[in-house]
Amino acid sequence: MAILELCGVTMSYGSGRARKAALADVSLRIAEGAFALLQGPSGAGKSTLLKLILAMERPEHGTIRVADRDIARLRKSSIPYLRRNVGAVFQDFKLLSDATPRENVALALQVLGLPRAHVDARARKALADVELDPDTRRPVRCLSGGEQQRVAIARALAGEPAILLADEPTGNLDPRLTREILELLGSVCQRGTTVLLATHDPLVHEHAAASHVLALTDGRLVADSEGLARALVAAPTPESTVEPIGVPA
Amino acid sequence: MNRALTSLVYIIARGVRGMVQAPLVQVLAMATIAVCMLLLGTVVLVWQNAQSIADRWGVDVPITVYLVDEVEPAAASELASRLATVAGVSSSETIAPELALQRLVEGLGDDPGLLDGVDADVLPTSIEVRLADSSASDDAAVLAAQLRSEPIVEEVVVAGAWAERAEQLLATLRQVAIGAAALVGFACLTIVWSTIRLAVYARRAEIQILRLVGGTAAFVRGPFVVEGLVQGALGATLAVALLWLGFAEVGSLVADAFALAFAAGSLRFLSPPECIVLVGFGAALGVLGSRAAVARYVEA
Ligand SMILES: Nc1ncnc2c1ncn2[C@@H]1O[C@H](COP(=O)(O)OP(=O)(O)O)[C@@H](O)[C@H]1O
Ligand SMILES: [Mg+2]
Repeated sequence: MAILELCGVTMSYGSGRARKAALADVSLRIAEGAFALLQGPSGAGKSTLLKLILAMERPEHGTIRVADRDIARLRKSSIPYLRRNVGAVFQDFKLLSDATPRENVALALQVLGLPRAHVDARARKALADVELDPDTRRPVRCLSGGEQQRVAIARALAGEPAILLADEPTGNLDPRLTREILELLGSVCQRGTTVLLATHDPLVHEHAAASHVLALTDGRLVADSEGLARALVAAPTPESTVEPIGVPA
Repeated sequence: MNRALTSLVYIIARGVRGMVQAPLVQVLAMATIAVCMLLLGTVVLVWQNAQSIADRWGVDVPITVYLVDEVEPAAASELASRLATVAGVSSSETIAPELALQRLVEGLGDDPGLLDGVDADVLPTSIEVRLADSSASDDAAVLAAQLRSEPIVEEVVVAGAWAERAEQLLATLRQVAIGAAALVGFACLTIVWSTIRLAVYARRAEIQILRLVGGTAAFVRGPFVVEGLVQGALGATLAVALLWLGFAEVGSLVADAFALAFAAGSLRFLSPPECIVLVGFGAALGVLGSRAAVARYVEA
């Protein structure tokens, strides 16, 4: 079953003469439990695609289905509930730098309205799962970049979302920490969470244990190892032809 | 505990934490709101007291007709009912000496003993004439002139100019009170709006994170609304307290200086329901101001 399905998605920023297409007719499908790697140079539209899945942006055309629910025209009041089912981590971590790791993770559980004891227990477990000390009282700003990204991953997973989006999660990390975070994402996937990792970094392309590789260029999907995009589009236009490519070992 | 209640607890806790992090801002906002509300409270207090004094002084009785001592009750009521049919008169009422004495006793309030042993018969029978609102101001004078020629009439007192001025003063005070409420409302909204704007700016990272992890608009907005509500309600409470202190100080001085005006009773402070309305007004302004300040930032 596909946990994520995009069909003919088009999206532009700006309006009038400043209008610029960020995604053009993108169709793809990611199976439940997959480790999907979204490649493409800077400005290809990777972040835009992830923002669409989080309903931070709206597509102009096309449908986006997350866990079989069309979110392209989701009501504003329903967006928080979508985001509880879609974890996300970013290059800049987006943590409360003066709070401890546990306080950061707890925030994602408090929004669910869970009682304090529950929040605490689950925050500890989420931190232990990413191999961090749940009891540290040091604020997040005193941690290394790799540790901060682990806190972010723990927070994203604390609510047990169906899918984890990672937008350049290693962009601020050195090669050693990059490999550690990729390993962690691999084990997250093995524990059952679908992972969609977007990056332009060749090091990541090389080391990520991806089961599904997609490539974007100039807002168009130019490669898809599952080759499902072609089947989804009834009558593909010649310029949107998608080449199936191999999965790196 | 259900989830909504648990969420409310988190919202209040985060609101309080936010306030504790910027205590000076809270104190300044509350003090400024208190000063504004104090102004409003003072105007309302003056208006209320002027109103009750005017009521006691019978400002609403423009013409009082005193009858001769030996008048027959039947003649008095005959004149009263004749007056009631005159165009421009809305009502006329005979006040027997006993009723006049009773009013005097009540009017003395704390010190009714002054009139012990006074016989009602020393007081004249009178007729109170009220005019329709539509009547012209010189109608009263014309009517008074006619009444003076009646044989059983001893004297006619037209409250006329004084009553009119008192009515005008009351109307003006009421308008000032309404104007003050509008101005103070606007000022308090602005104060809360700008303090909450600062708080939103200081905590913009937290807001972004809460939205990212699936916090509802109410969850994101809540702590700021708590902050606005507390500022408004505490500011107004402080104003009521200051007003009460000021009233205790100034009230007795004023009462001494105008002993005659207050002979019919003492100055009164705002009633408990009026105080609650004032505090509720402050709280509502706090909620409105904070909601407006945070509105744009809670949306996805
Ligand atoms: N908020 C924005 N406003 C205008 N243009 C944007 C915005 N975000 C991205 N873009 C443009 O959209 C295109 C795709 O951007 P993005 O999705 O961030 O690419 P990537 O993540 O692959 O580097 C780029 O040309 C970028 O300049
Ligand atoms: Mg990007």
